[in-house]
Amino acid sequence: MLQSEAMSRFFLIAAALLLPLAALHAVEISKSLVRIEATSQEPNYKTPWSPGDVTSGVGAGFVVDGKRIMTNAHVVSNARFLTVSKEGDPTPYLAQVLHIAHDCDLALLSVENPDFFNGTAPLEFGGIPQIESVVSAYGYPVGGTRLSVTRGIVSRIDFQPYSHSGMDSHLAIQIDAAINPGNSGGPVMQNSKVVGVAFQGYSGDVAQNVGYMIPTPVIHRFLKDVEDGRYDHYVDLALTYRNLFNPASRRALGLEDETTGVQICSVYSSGASDGIVKPGDVILKIDGHTVSSDGTIPLEDEAVPLEEVVERKFKGDKVHLDILRDGKPMTLTVPLREPWPFKLQSNLYDERPRYFVAGGLVFQPVDQNFMEAHDPSDQRLNYLFDFFIADGLHATRPEIVVLSNILPDPVNAYADEFRYSVVDEVNGRRIKRIEDIAAAFEEKADYYVIKFAGGGRPIVLERKAIEEARSRISGRYALTAEKNLEK
Amino acid sequence: MKSTPSLRSFCLALLLALAIPSARAEDTAPESTSKSLLRVNSTNQVYEFFQPWIKKPPFSRRGIGALIDGGRILVTAELVANSTFIELEKPATAEKSTATVERVDYDCNLAVLRPADPAFLQGMQPLALNGPLQVGEEATILQLEPNGEIAKTLGRITSISVASYPSESGALLLFKLGAPLQQRDGSFTLPVIRDDRLIGMVMRYDARNQSADIVPTAVIRHFLAELDSTTYQGFARLGIAFAPLRDPQLRRYIGLKEPGGVYVSDITPRGSADAAGIKKGDAILAVDELPLDQDGNYEDSDYGRILFSHLTNTIKHPGAVVRFKILRDGKTLEIPVNMQVANRDHAISEPHISDTAPKYVVLGGLVFIELSRPYLKEWGSKWTSTAPQRLVYYDAFQNELPPDRGRIIILSQVLPTPDTIGYEDLENIVVTKVNDRPVKSLADLSEAAKKPVDGFQKIEFEEDPKLLFLDAASIEANADTLKKHYALPALERL
Repeated sequence: MLQSEAMSRFFLIAAALLLPLAALHAVEISKSLVRIEATSQEPNYKTPWSPGDVTSGVGAGFVVDGKRIMTNAHVVSNARFLTVSKEGDPTPYLAQVLHIAHDCDLALLSVENPDFFNGTAPLEFGGIPQIESVVSAYGYPVGGTRLSVTRGIVSRIDFQPYSHSGMDSHLAIQIDAAINPGNSGGPVMQNSKVVGVAFQGYSGDVAQNVGYMIPTPVIHRFLKDVEDGRYDHYVDLALTYRNLFNPASRRALGLEDETTGVQICSVYSSGASDGIVKPGDVILKIDGHTVSSDGTIPLEDEAVPLEEVVERKFKGDKVHLDILRDGKPMTLTVPLREPWPFKLQSNLYDERPRYFVAGGLVFQPVDQNFMEAHDPSDQRLNYLFDFFIADGLHATRPEIVVLSNILPDPVNAYADEFRYSVVDEVNGRRIKRIEDIAAAFEEKADYYVIKFAGGGRPIVLERKAIEEARSRISGRYALTAEKNLEK
Repeated sequence: MKSTPSLRSFCLALLLALAIPSARAEDTAPESTSKSLLRVNSTNQVYEFFQPWIKKPPFSRRGIGALIDGGRILVTAELVANSTFIELEKPATAEKSTATVERVDYDCNLAVLRPADPAFLQGMQPLALNGPLQVGEEATILQLEPNGEIAKTLGRITSISVASYPSESGALLLFKLGAPLQQRDGSFTLPVIRDDRLIGMVMRYDARNQSADIVPTAVIRHFLAELDSTTYQGFARLGIAFAPLRDPQLRRYIGLKEPGGVYVSDITPRGSADAAGIKKGDAILAVDELPLDQDGNYEDSDYGRILFSHLTNTIKHPGAVVRFKILRDGKTLEIPVNMQVANRDHAISEPHISDTAPKYVVLGGLVFIELSRPYLKEWGSKWTSTAPQRLVYYDAFQNELPPDRGRIIILSQVLPTPDTIGYEDLENIVVTKVNDRPVKSLADLSEAAKKPVDGFQKIEFEEDPKLLFLDAASIEANADTLKKHYALPALERL
């Protein structure tokens, strides 16, 4: 309570001081500001056959080039129905998602009726604002329904995890202007130019006055990526590296006194660097930029992590690495592509849960959405999920398929203990994907023998018993379809 | 660590007991019993597994021991686990004597003590062991008042089953006795009697349910018989995990026509069952011609329907041959199993370590240890979710690792030195090789470290950083400084 009182007093003072200036800008910018109302349907991974709960929310957006509206991906994720309205004109217009990039939390919308854009002006983008310079955030945060403007300064420029996907880190700019739910997708302005898109902050008591915006390098990359009509996802080297401060390690790996570089630790199988870069290699330069002992490179007068070189590239682009291998200098070229195994551990949107039901046993592939919904305490499952990439488990098992639930029925009366067990085999068929389960049960057999990771006893279902139970189970549990294998 | 739950239980017991007039259940004991009891005060000190060269602060556990034949005092193993000093005290006179542990077996949670001066026991009377009890029968838990008077709490046996013992190394016969036990000093271990004969020792008390876990005489007799044999072997282990065979679909699938049987779901590599050729997927139909039901119970002459492991682990002694009737691929086989104690030499992670100092090697400031469950338990009561998950996985699923995997060697932490610059953040990563030699024990690691490669200690890991180097000459030269700086008594203990 105390804190929020203090905060609101501060904001009153600040607003009073800055009102004339803010008002001037607000008039200009409000012409391009868009209020977005989104109705979404989030699938329920515990009952994957049900379409999910319908929720609605409000976010902000702004008009950019080409009669498009830019906003955050999380404002329009899983959207079923979207309307947009302009500041000063409450008429709702139907809108659609044109492009959505969950890995950098950006989206572009189009509006069916072109009249919407009458009287609007596309906003222009600026560069990376200076630390300590003043910026203004526009949006529709809680506390009222009309446009809100908050001001603050640029506090920090750094790589940050993007919480929408939960797996990606990109450049982000921290500002001390209040960013609250409803600010999402709104422009952050400086000198009448967009210098960022407000997208996340800290909730609760973790920190005060910490808001983040997506800076223009990330925005430009997104706009460039979709120029060909589709979004290709960020690319990644799919490797890990580590500092090379230790004199013994430096000498053993062949580094001269003045030379700097980092040690390659893991190279993920099936990733872009697989078969090109090796663990124990030392990266000296990336695209000609000298790598320091802690993995940073000088880029535009800033020391940034060497990943920034890759961040700005696209699918099919190449990265050139100068390395030392067994003490000998070499030059490597890595063609970049999307790192598929990483998607398992990131939040997924706009996808339908996949599942297969036989004899009341529900089988699902495991991904972050599944883990969040079920929060299983099974030790084996948690290990397989946590170490899926680090231990290269995806090489033998592209998907972890588990018995996720049991819809109780006489046919599965003795299956309870197997909940969250990882399926290894059905009738001798290795289960590498959810499709394999479906295929195994589609083959005619008297018995279906389900074997789980770690041995243990199998579950045996008789075909006759499955067939007898079919209508009983779908009726009793409102099971509208026995499978969905499509994303 | 282990004492906390039981202490809490007793605090609860006190609160509950205050509300209930419990004098009814107590009266003065006959002379014969009071001459058989001794207070046992044990000062225990546990090793700090995070820093295996030091011990945690000492603490004391106080319980009551029962004098049995042969001048031995019977207590639970947990009472004297990691003991540094044990004192016996006569309840009435407070006369004291130091004592030593003659034998402790954590598998059955029993120990026998002997006084330093045998004359200390003069005038005392050993308690005889009672025969088997049935569910529903009464028994009396003995406690001592401060003045040496015996306080008795009458209870009733509520269940007799084969259940897990505190060391987590296996399951043995266990009685549960429902009794409103009061909080009294020195109740860590308590004798239970019936008709002035010992029927077991209380090892845990659950105050909420007013239920005491008791090591029964069947287990005590086995322990004592082993003590009197030429070499103490303890309790044999079959080394399998089994699942009930209740599901009729599964029974039809494996062609099981008989009414009972259990499914062998896991085999401990190199265990008794493994050595005899029992396999995963076998159905066990009978043991020594006693048929098993679908849950694995046989009809025991003393206790009725009870898990067959009571027969194989407690009734039988190590070296006995037990005949298993097995159904495999539709055929019935008879497999004789030579029951042996668990061979710990090949254990990948020890479930229980007491009275022995944990091993370690410190190399230039990198601390190496062997994975064990006591190490993981240093993360607290929620260790299965808070300890490093890869290590938890290795501990939980060690049966599935290759049988020659050996011990899991961990770089547990780094004591920063000039030699470890850049490595300060490394912790709890699994070592695979040192100087190109695979390491399957700390002894391997210590040996391998004697042969640096090109002047470097080359250490490889399963996880990132995968590989690091130390300057062999430099760590040799800095060894004494490292010892002094971090007050290490030695750089290794194997």
